[in-house]
Amino acid sequence: MLPKGLEKQLNILDFSLTSLWRRKLKNLSIMLVFALVIFLLGSFQMLTGALTSSAEAVLENTPEITIQKMSAGRQEAIPLAYIEKLRSIYGIRAVIPRIWGYYFDESNLANFTILALELGSMPFDSNLNLTLAHGHFPKKTEPGTAVIGRSVQDILGLDKRRTFSLFRPDLSLKSFKVVGVFSQQTDLLSNDLIVMNLTDARDLFGIPVSMATDLCIYVANPTEIETIAKKIAVLLPDTRVLTKSQIQKTYQVVFSWRSGLASICLLTALVAFAILAWDKASGLSPEEKREIGILKILGWETGDILAVRFWESTLVSALAFIIGCTAAYIHVAFFDASLLKAVMVGWSVIHPPFKLLPSVTLADLLLIFTFSVLPFLGATVIPAWRCATVPPDSVIR
Amino acid sequence: MFLNSWSLGLTLAGLIILFLGVFACRTAVRVLRYWDPQSDSNLQIKLENEIWLASTLVEYGLGFQILTVVLFVLAADTFCQVIVGAMCATGALLANNFGMPALLVKLAGVFVYGFWIVLHKLDISSETYPLVRIKYIYLLLILPLLVADIILQSLYISFLSPDIITSCCAVVFGSSKETGRNLLEGFSRPTLLALYYGSIIALTGMGYVLLKRWLVPLAVLFSTGWIWFLGLATIAIIAVFSSYIYAMPYHHCPFCILKPEYHYVGFALYFTLIPASFFGLTTVLVEPFKRRNNLAGSVQKYQQTAIRISLLLLLLLTVISSYHYLLYRISGGE
Amino acid sequence: MLIELDNTTKIYNQGKPNEVTALHGVNLQIEGRTMVCLQGASGSGKSTLLAIIGCVFPPTSGRASIAGKQLSRMPDRFLTIHRREKIGFIFQQFNLLPRLSVLDNITLPLLPLGISPRERKTKARKLLGQLSISHRENFPAGQISGGEMQRVAIARALINNQPIILADEPTAHLDSRLSMEFMQIMTDLKASGKTIIIASHDTLVSEHPAIDKIINIKDGRIDVP
Repeated sequence: MLPKGLEKQLNILDFSLTSLWRRKLKNLSIMLVFALVIFLLGSFQMLTGALTSSAEAVLENTPEITIQKMSAGRQEAIPLAYIEKLRSIYGIRAVIPRIWGYYFDESNLANFTILALELGSMPFDSNLNLTLAHGHFPKKTEPGTAVIGRSVQDILGLDKRRTFSLFRPDLSLKSFKVVGVFSQQTDLLSNDLIVMNLTDARDLFGIPVSMATDLCIYVANPTEIETIAKKIAVLLPDTRVLTKSQIQKTYQVVFSWRSGLASICLLTALVAFAILAWDKASGLSPEEKREIGILKILGWETGDILAVRFWESTLVSALAFIIGCTAAYIHVAFFDASLLKAVMVGWSVIHPPFKLLPSVTLADLLLIFTFSVLPFLGATVIPAWRCATVPPDSVIR
Repeated sequence: MFLNSWSLGLTLAGLIILFLGVFACRTAVRVLRYWDPQSDSNLQIKLENEIWLASTLVEYGLGFQILTVVLFVLAADTFCQVIVGAMCATGALLANNFGMPALLVKLAGVFVYGFWIVLHKLDISSETYPLVRIKYIYLLLILPLLVADIILQSLYISFLSPDIITSCCAVVFGSSKETGRNLLEGFSRPTLLALYYGSIIALTGMGYVLLKRWLVPLAVLFSTGWIWFLGLATIAIIAVFSSYIYAMPYHHCPFCILKPEYHYVGFALYFTLIPASFFGLTTVLVEPFKRRNNLAGSVQKYQQTAIRISLLLLLLLTVISSYHYLLYRISGGE
Repeated sequence: MLIELDNTTKIYNQGKPNEVTALHGVNLQIEGRTMVCLQGASGSGKSTLLAIIGCVFPPTSGRASIAGKQLSRMPDRFLTIHRREKIGFIFQQFNLLPRLSVLDNITLPLLPLGISPRERKTKARKLLGQLSISHRENFPAGQISGGEMQRVAIARALINNQPIILADEPTAHLDSRLSMEFMQIMTDLKASGKTIIIASHDTLVSEHPAIDKIINIKDGRIDVP
């Protein structure tokens, strides 16, 4: 035996269901539009989450500290001589010079990222091969070899061919042989990447032997990173010292910044929808007015009519929420959020078709709920009240 | 740091609640000026209708407010990922001077809204609507709280500085990493546990006696006891129980227990503790209204129900909070 | 005395330019277990009188005591509660919800009382049986005949065991056969202890032997013959 109050709410809920069904065209159309708005919001939220965790996973293996030389506020090549100065800092496990830059392929209108490292001297270098779908990284003994990302492979048509050529600054051609391709999981960072030997990179870009683009520092004890970073900054005042956590946070902020920007755009859609909801809830047809008058004269209080309106709004939003979120999940997980990725990812011409794993926690759902159901319910309160105050004597002529 | 989904969500929710509150206050002003229960004029009828509007707005407001408290904590948890030196929500909330006050004001809002609804339900149970004036003056006093809520929240968000790379120097000077820093130095665990369980027994005893025989001084003690218990239980959760839930002796964050990794057990704890305290506290707060026309019966009924609910939730809280601790002790730790 | 009006006045839009006095100092007494016919032209204040007897709104001044409750100026909420316990309404056009089933229409007054679906169905079925329309239980109310609608309206007015039945021009859209049937049902209800007030121009009603008293209202006043 349920308490009377609960039984009453269940009765009213039951009535609300039939009431919604009696006006199914209007209610279904509102619900579908709402579901669409939730779908867009949910897709953005889940996409951000998926990209962040994707980036996090991949960034795990970045060097703890990166040093770049700054001049007049811009980055320039760093002399290898600085490595000697770093020997005095205790706790540094390895210092790896790195060359990287951008190469614009005019014939394909594509921007590639070129990266070169002395791979043999990196800690955990055996793990690096795990990032490859097949092949191996360029060895010091193999000049003119490269590992490429999957989009590079596509754009340069390197399925069948194994060699390609790039222009040096003096417009002479340098040829490379592909010895490995990056795997799909690393797409976010590796898609437009070409990895080669330091010697080849120096040759390609015309960088002198005594210089590098930046220095990667591997630190033995993770808790020491901040301390060591500070020491380096003191020792090399004309450099910028970046820590791994800062790089991770920057990606996070950029993703969430973009997501926030997109949310603002969606807010306009939401406002339009809230206005629609208000309008629909306000408009009482003569039949609806009559119905409320009848209920009131039969003994339904204003509060009971408000309860009906509340349940109607809740049911419509609950259904729209479930449909919208499910569709968003499917969109992100199975269709790679194809509708939205352009906003979130990259600034190069290449948009990687990588697989996303959307994470859906209670927190994400609550946020989507806040952006969608909350404004909707807020917009329908006053119209619902206006409905509920139809006087009963309107029925007695 | 407004350009972020969480900040936008919080701001949106805050604005909606403010919007509802302002509308409710509009009714409050009109009622206080023109309310005349003996009059048959159109205005009086309109006002009687508007009373329903005000109460609906406050009820929605309460629901939304509870949501924003949870949202705020979860948002702090995401903020900690981009802020200097914050490892979890506690760190994020302590990042500037507005985080904790904002949270406390939001929690206070839940209690304040809830009590208005209690007053409203009591008021409409009597044909003469005896509490109309008090109710609407109270409502007008809530408005500053709402404004304070959204101001504190906005200040908190705007003073958050995410730790991103700037163009010149990027080395962070200073803060060591926080692991949900121990907010509570110097509480001895056995004392705390003794007080905790002792209070539970005392409250249960008092509640049981009150259900059998109503004594105003005892009721005052009961409700005061609940205020004490709210604070004590929060400290106990932070200082003792949380570390057993995390299975880490130095993790004392009161907010990480809300995360999926810990099966959202934090929700179970806080969603029993806070309503229980609310009902326990309001038991005596409604006592002065017993003398008003026709309210004696309704007030008494509410008091009995409130005591029952608070004791039931207290039992649930005891079980949930003790579970991890007992599990650890029984399976042979320490 | 079940229904008693003493110097009851109702003024709409009091203090405004469109102020109108619908009832001027009406005095009225109706005993329990009687059937009364209320007659008056449109604009005579008949609807207002019905509304006050029906606890739809209280009078502006004067006393109105309906089924043991003084309808002084009280919040709508309590009027509603009293009304649903004491008054059953039968309207001119039945005012059923056409897309709701007959059963659901009849049990509408019971929903806000927190009565379980099973109990509601039992009560409704009993009435459907007494009024011989059990076979229409699940039909949408908009798809049944006029006579059947009338019986559904009656059942709805009885579902909460209300002691007073208020019928407003119930035979206006019925032929004489159905009108006679209606009066027969009303007579049976009166015998079972209900108090019935029928507002009607129909001579079939006013001249029916079961009518105990005829009340004429004109220009907001009871016409004392």
